[in-house]
Amino acid sequence: MIGLSPFFKKSNHHEDKTLIFQESKLIQQYGGKLISSQLDENVQILNKIFEQNMDYTSRRFELFHKTPAVIIYLNSLVDKEVIHHDIMKPLQEEVANDIENLFQYMIENILYYNDVKVIKDFSTIIASIVQGKAIVFIDGVDQALEVDVVMKEKRTIEEPETERVVRGPRDGFIEDLPTNIALLRYRLPIPEFRVEETEVGVRTKTKVVVCYIEDLANPTLVKEMKRRIDAIEIDGVLDSGYVEQFLADNPISPFPQLINTERPNKVIGNLLEGRVAVLMDGSPSALIAPATFNQFYHTTEDYNEHWVISSFVRVFRILALVFSLTFSSIYVTVISFHPELIPAKYVVAASSGRVSIPLPVVLEVLLMELAMEVLREASVRMPQQVGGALSIVGVLVVGQAAVQAGFVSPITVVIIGMSTIGSFAIPSYNAANTFRMLRFLLIILAGTLGLLGIALGLMVVVNHMLSLRSFGVPYMAPFAPLNIKALKDSVIRAPFDKLKKRPTNIHPNDITRVGNVVKDHTNFNFLDEKERENL
Amino acid sequence: MKHTDSISSIQLAIIIASTIIGVSLLVLPRFVVAEVGEAAILACIVGLFISFMSVFSIMQLGKKYRHHTMIGCNRLLLGKYVGNFFNFLILIVTIIIMGLDLRQFAEVLASGLLPNTPIEVSILLMIILCALVGYRNVSTFAYIHVFYLPFLLIPMVFFIFAYEDIEAYHLLPILGHQLSLKQFMSGAIVMTCAITNYFVIAMLIPYIKDYENSLKNSIWGFFLGGLAILYTIIICLGVFGVNEMEDMYWPVLSLSRIIQIPGDVLSRIDAIILITWIFAVFTTLCSYFFVIVRGTAELFRTDHYGFISTLMIPIVFIIALIPNNVYEIYNYAIKVSYIGLFLFIILPAGLFIIGRIRNKVGVR
Repeated sequence: MIGLSPFFKKSNHHEDKTLIFQESKLIQQYGGKLISSQLDENVQILNKIFEQNMDYTSRRFELFHKTPAVIIYLNSLVDKEVIHHDIMKPLQEEVANDIENLFQYMIENILYYNDVKVIKDFSTIIASIVQGKAIVFIDGVDQALEVDVVMKEKRTIEEPETERVVRGPRDGFIEDLPTNIALLRYRLPIPEFRVEETEVGVRTKTKVVVCYIEDLANPTLVKEMKRRIDAIEIDGVLDSGYVEQFLADNPISPFPQLINTERPNKVIGNLLEGRVAVLMDGSPSALIAPATFNQFYHTTEDYNEHWVISSFVRVFRILALVFSLTFSSIYVTVISFHPELIPAKYVVAASSGRVSIPLPVVLEVLLMELAMEVLREASVRMPQQVGGALSIVGVLVVGQAAVQAGFVSPITVVIIGMSTIGSFAIPSYNAANTFRMLRFLLIILAGTLGLLGIALGLMVVVNHMLSLRSFGVPYMAPFAPLNIKALKDSVIRAPFDKLKKRPTNIHPNDITRVGNVVKDHTNFNFLDEKERENL
Repeated sequence: MKHTDSISSIQLAIIIASTIIGVSLLVLPRFVVAEVGEAAILACIVGLFISFMSVFSIMQLGKKYRHHTMIGCNRLLLGKYVGNFFNFLILIVTIIIMGLDLRQFAEVLASGLLPNTPIEVSILLMIILCALVGYRNVSTFAYIHVFYLPFLLIPMVFFIFAYEDIEAYHLLPILGHQLSLKQFMSGAIVMTCAITNYFVIAMLIPYIKDYENSLKNSIWGFFLGGLAILYTIIICLGVFGVNEMEDMYWPVLSLSRIIQIPGDVLSRIDAIILITWIFAVFTTLCSYFFVIVRGTAELFRTDHYGFISTLMIPIVFIIALIPNNVYEIYNYAIKVSYIGLFLFIILPAGLFIIGRIRNKVGVR
């Protein structure tokens, strides 16, 4: 948008006005149609819609041994135990006479089940059935009973694969939204924690929730987040990655502009800073906004460990990031343009290995990077049983053979290895991917223009990052705009008594995070004063 | 003028500093020394103070016309026709100075870093880099300057290692050898001309959040940039002396080649200094481009910044290619600089006085 403006002009109006997203036609067709008091008529309408489906169940029974009734549900979605024991059994076995308000009586006295509603129109019924609810029609009553008996398959809670920690909680989000919210709620037992639901996707009707802490998050930010989610027009969202791309301030940019995480504790940590999280049904990753570039080399573990160690590790992560971006391109430019940059003995070492290499160093590095990318992609797709063995074959055997065959120089292999391993040390997978991609740009520039190329390439990248905003927050904060106080939680992680304020660039309502830190624990002694005197 | 983004006065100071440190860092020492010899240091200080008058008058003008850029002030105070004539002149001079700076940059690169790359390539890439910034957001422009400033100061750190080679007699006598006042002033004017690029602040005045601090901070920024250049000149003069410097084109480049970093890690640091200097050139060119794009947009009352910056790429490119060699660049540069001197120093002061006399009130 900003960074690439002359070449990608952003049009402010919709490209195609004819694109109108509609509700499901069937629901529209029956919109406003009320339930009749004739049982058969109601059942026929639903039969007409759902009969072809193999999981459609429409079962007749006699309510309280006398009134004909029908229960309708999609048997693939519901918990049959509940239907048998908690709905059918009481409804059939109970004996009741002369009841004025039948539904009221059923809800209050007969049904044990919690989520029960009385509904009147067909459009709601159709929508409920496909969401896994059971509908009970009773002869002579122009209302229906909706019981939420949905049962989804879900996996157990595991540690997220991409965000492993040595020290810290091991639970991760799963696909089931209520479970994920539960994971958040039990860490945040306060009434201010808000979980607001919206729906995204005209066909998938996916539940998307916006989570925030009401007295921390800036209301403008929450409003903007809801506005952006409501503005999404798409037939379906299958992962929060879909939503992320709609929420990003600059959709052209390759840089991640929202944090995604599968760790509940990371979400909580960010909510406590005044950020807003978005969770989605069917996706194990939550989105957090606003995001700054700073956060992509932070992990939750940094706060678990002692601050000196965390700061030390963070410095190395940044080095890894810089390595993965520039190492191979600097190698290319030093070898092919500016060997005078490094002391002569290193030049000799580097170039003596290259005597028999047929390719120019740019092509050699590009080829190796390409091979590395292929290997990496292959190891993601490979079945786990063969993955380990194949990657060893790929890296060790092929690399070794290539060097011995005189196809690549040993130093090139070292450099490529360093830059690849560097990219694995970046905690955020999507940020690492961006830098991997930009590495190729830098190698090509370095191979054609030497140091000038690297400088230009880095400037393009940095200028673009400086132009990014995530929900109005400058992406490169706190470096530019410079915020000295916020630098305490950037490259280093200051101790908690120095991190008393929340980050101000997201404008939280409450600024204080840490109260007084009692440092003086040294007076403690097992013996009280008298006993010490006696000693 | 409606806008939502803003910059702080500290960012303004940083913009001034990193704009001043630019192409001139590499070429200025020789220029000044060629004019006044050993009096270069004093001439620089005098030159800085002349420029400082201009910074002061721009900031005072901004205080009175809080919501106008220089372009707006010209229109308001001089009338539509005269004002727009000066506005055109400002833009054209800025375009020419930018073109010449670019050319100097490319020549230095060709002699120092990339002898085999045609200068057209580096010129074109640099303009495209400037155009890619996009000038819709003033805050982004400020962030760019903030981010690069630490890099621009890296060479200053390296120059410390050259202090062993400084000979005190190179710097003396401080008043030069039998200089007339006219000669001395011409040296001072060279300095003044080389750093007129701080003029970009005249385009930023409506965006400053805390204007009450901005005069103080802009003085700090101005002297930070000015001192960096002065320091470079002192080191160069101290190391090489007048006679040697008159023989070299880019004394700073030679200086960076003789600096030895203790510890045998890098054998030569000239490439690092050149890279940081590329950053410095970029921030300076970016400021020029900012004046050109935002100025043109304001002149024609549009906000198609992307279109204007794309349009300016070939124009600046052609101007950068007009001089045939290094000598011609300097001849052109000196001629244009005198017009620039009038536009960037006398005009703001004049406007300030005219504003007082005509007692016009700016838009709230």
